[in-house]
Amino acid sequence: MKRVIAIIALLFAVVTTTAQERHYDIDAIDILGQRSIKEIGIQHTKLDSLVLKENISLSMADVLAFNSSIFVKSYGRATLSTVAFRGTSPSHTQVTWNGMRINSPMLGMTDFSMIPSYFVDDASLLHGTSSVNEAGGGLGGVVKLSTEAADNRGFGLQYIQGIGSFRTFDEFLRLTYGNDHWQTSTRVSISTSANDFRYTNRDKKINIYDEDMNIVDQYYPMERNKSGSYRDIHLLQEVYYNTGYGDRIGLNAWYINSNRELPMLTTDYAEDAEYDNRQREQTLRAVVSWDHLRSQWKLSANGGYIHTSMAYDYLRDPGNGTMTPMTRSRSKINTLYGRAEGEYYIGSKWLFTASLSAHQHFVESRDKNIILQEGNKAIVGYDQARVELSGAVSAKWRPTDRFGLSLVLREELFGTELSPIIPALFIDGVVSKRGNVIAKASISRNYRYPTLNDLYFLPGGNPDLRSESGWTYDVGASFAVGRKGQYSLSGSATWFDSYISDWILWLPTTKGFFSPRNIKDVHAYGIELKADGSLQFAREWELGLAATLSWTPSLNTGEPLTEADRSMGKQLPYVPEYTATINGRLMWRGWTFQYKWCYYSERYTMSSNDYTLTGKLPVYFMSNISLEKSLSFSWADLMLKGAINNLFDEEYMSVLSRPMPGINFEIFIGITPKW
Amino acid sequence: MRRLLLLFAILAVGCMEWDYGLEEDFNFEASERGLFICNEGNFQYGNATLSYYNPDTRTIENEVFYRANAMKLGDVAQSMTIYDNRGWIVVNNSHVIFAIDLDTFREVGRITGLTSPRYIHFISDEKAYVTQIWDNRIFIVNPKRYEITGYIDVPRMTMEQGSTEQMVQKGKYLYVNCWSYQNRILKIDTETDTIVAELEVGIQPTSLAMDCNGKLWTVTDGGYDGSPYGYERPALYRIDPETMTIEAMFEFKRGDAPSEVQLNGLGDTIYWINDDIWAMDVTATNVPVRPFLDSRGTIYYGLTVDPVNEDVYIADAIDYTQPGKVYRYTKQGELVDEFYVGIIPGAFCWK
Repeated sequence: MKRVIAIIALLFAVVTTTAQERHYDIDAIDILGQRSIKEIGIQHTKLDSLVLKENISLSMADVLAFNSSIFVKSYGRATLSTVAFRGTSPSHTQVTWNGMRINSPMLGMTDFSMIPSYFVDDASLLHGTSSVNEAGGGLGGVVKLSTEAADNRGFGLQYIQGIGSFRTFDEFLRLTYGNDHWQTSTRVSISTSANDFRYTNRDKKINIYDEDMNIVDQYYPMERNKSGSYRDIHLLQEVYYNTGYGDRIGLNAWYINSNRELPMLTTDYAEDAEYDNRQREQTLRAVVSWDHLRSQWKLSANGGYIHTSMAYDYLRDPGNGTMTPMTRSRSKINTLYGRAEGEYYIGSKWLFTASLSAHQHFVESRDKNIILQEGNKAIVGYDQARVELSGAVSAKWRPTDRFGLSLVLREELFGTELSPIIPALFIDGVVSKRGNVIAKASISRNYRYPTLNDLYFLPGGNPDLRSESGWTYDVGASFAVGRKGQYSLSGSATWFDSYISDWILWLPTTKGFFSPRNIKDVHAYGIELKADGSLQFAREWELGLAATLSWTPSLNTGEPLTEADRSMGKQLPYVPEYTATINGRLMWRGWTFQYKWCYYSERYTMSSNDYTLTGKLPVYFMSNISLEKSLSFSWADLMLKGAINNLFDEEYMSVLSRPMPGINFEIFIGITPKW
Repeated sequence: MRRLLLLFAILAVGCMEWDYGLEEDFNFEASERGLFICNEGNFQYGNATLSYYNPDTRTIENEVFYRANAMKLGDVAQSMTIYDNRGWIVVNNSHVIFAIDLDTFREVGRITGLTSPRYIHFISDEKAYVTQIWDNRIFIVNPKRYEITGYIDVPRMTMEQGSTEQMVQKGKYLYVNCWSYQNRILKIDTETDTIVAELEVGIQPTSLAMDCNGKLWTVTDGGYDGSPYGYERPALYRIDPETMTIEAMFEFKRGDAPSEVQLNGLGDTIYWINDDIWAMDVTATNVPVRPFLDSRGTIYYGLTVDPVNEDVYIADAIDYTQPGKVYRYTKQGELVDEFYVGIIPGAFCWK
């Protein structure tokens, strides 16, 4: 930990002392606009386009791992990746895309490895209490993703190709057209990879036998990642029409076709050629939006639809050359979505908002084909529908430039269950105009209702589950200084404190299957630090540096399950106590060198925090670098880029028995013609 | 610029702290009594472990497979059987059975190529049966050569619904309970490797044992609410293996989840878990009114009886994500010892 603190301190020192040496006037603040009344007391992290558009092979899981304080739990390369804020679970992170919630209604979580960052134009994280402004149920926070009009005139085209280690190929094409009223954009990406990276498997050994089948030698094998190939296709169509008189209509439709093998564990002795373990997904997400803007008020209405078909197959060749199903699971989700929102300003000091959103889910889950006792066949599964309503009103008041107060009241309905009122109160104030030092505080109560699998999955669904509930508050301060075209420096520090009750956990039963129960109370608290700086320290040279550090104890505070339970007061499994990221960028005449680094402290794999030989996930550091050159010609802009991931070829795991790749390489070439 | 280079150098030194390859030397007396505990670990996390308990000295050694072999046991250690002074550990989702030396815990060989193994039963030095889940075949293996030599196809069973479980033998016949979405006991002729008879019992017989009178015992779990296969009152069955007929049936309440039928060393008392721990004479005509041991407010996951002194061992998996605890009682129900083992202790094996 000391090393991490030292690194962060050094980063600050590099940025700040360099600024001092150059005798910049700290008082010369000219880059800061007026604070938005909408953002009173909000704790958020905004990811800029440089981060989101770094390269076409990145998913939002990769972007968040290196650019935010939230924890990304990755089960492997191009494999399930979930994110969690502030020591909570992935299902406590609500995710919206163009306003529509995209968490799986069956699982509650979102797979961020399925979201290419090149398909996101605007991403922000609303931490803790701040999530109530956007949605209910975000006990950890909200990840808000959206697309935006390209704002081009005429036709535009961008094509990027990437080639990487492990036979990885990425293609990205974007076509745009725009005029004063219309903006259209079509984005396509195709990613394929054998994903068969080599690694030394230290969880197993290979035996060498003599003729009498006595072991005469053993060694750790150098293995390939088995059953890890994938092919993901994404298509995003956007159409926007702007009347020029304050009305804008938009259509966003995102189609995903994914076919991924599920990698074998490091402890698996099966021959991968005899098995096929595969997940296929087809998803369509579409949103139609209308915004009506006037000087003092705004109305907007959205309608949307999500369709997801998931197929999971685990097949084995029993020796006759025919792959035969052992597990054949199917699910279909259809979601209808609607949202209406209004904002009304009274002068510049008051803002009132109201919103109502509805998600109607229809879910069919087919998990197993069986032969009944009578000899006929049947399928084990469930078929359920649920409506989820969420309404919120807010009043935001900024009587002076130095002070703001905001109150949000939210009410949610899921099925026939009405949640208690979800209140959130925010306050902020300018402590010092010199340095733009702003203090913020907020408090909220929140609820997350059980998922459809929690309630109805067969076998194991528990219809008697209660909603999880939580209190959270945070206090913090931020500052921002800079001089346009010369330097900028901003930072924030936030203390947060959350209490979550009735945490839902799936536990085995004596009947051999798992079933969820309201079992834990959790106290999560800690500190989030962020710093961001840029400096143009010489002619045509620019240095950018962003860093985060978080300390997130997340402790089980419930009653012991039995007298033998040693998990009380212990850190939750797989929640690191410390995480840190650094992202540095050095630019000169079209050249960009980037260094990315992230750090996770050890993660316990047991609720009792025993640190055993077979259950350890030690600290790891990850370093990636890239070098990019942009070339501008009269006929086109060209981009060439090379990237090295896992620079120091570190052996690491994010989850037990899930292999991760060592050092690997990617090159990208892009062209943007000028018509 | 020098500061940046310094910073770069600091970042470069970070690395994950693994310690591999350290093999510990165990050397337990071959004659010593001992109890192996298979700790399943969490499905898909590969953190199964093996514990070893000396009932005389009351000492426990955990993670003995890893410590002796410097490699992981694998994903879901389902069961262990001792034959010919070797321990055979069936690791279900690692598709492997490890053979270990009982004194050093070092691996002496392994059987691979299995679909999803559950239990191994030895017919002879050169033949053993391995039951499976997600496969409609019982595998025949040669334990000397660590090879699969054949299969017994189970009729009216697909791979998707495949489930053969525990095995007991009387003479040349072997009996197998079929558990997941099944309701059958199979009778197999071990000379011809063919199924010669079947008996339908209740829904999902979970375990199997044979008493001192040569009678089979099984207990069903009754399925679950909403199961298309059915949901009924679970029951304990006494079966005549010669005629494959049910001699006695003791029903429980619907919703109960009885499991883990075990016998004492003499084979005259049967034990099982149904929330509490129950014990019954094998000739009894009614289930006792009171349990042998009251529940400690948890779901017991494993049960065994010392074949020598009839001490009863019960495994508590607690929250299934921390080392479970084993309680040892005398046959009078007095607590003798308690010790922590690994995650989800499910199966025991007496040395």
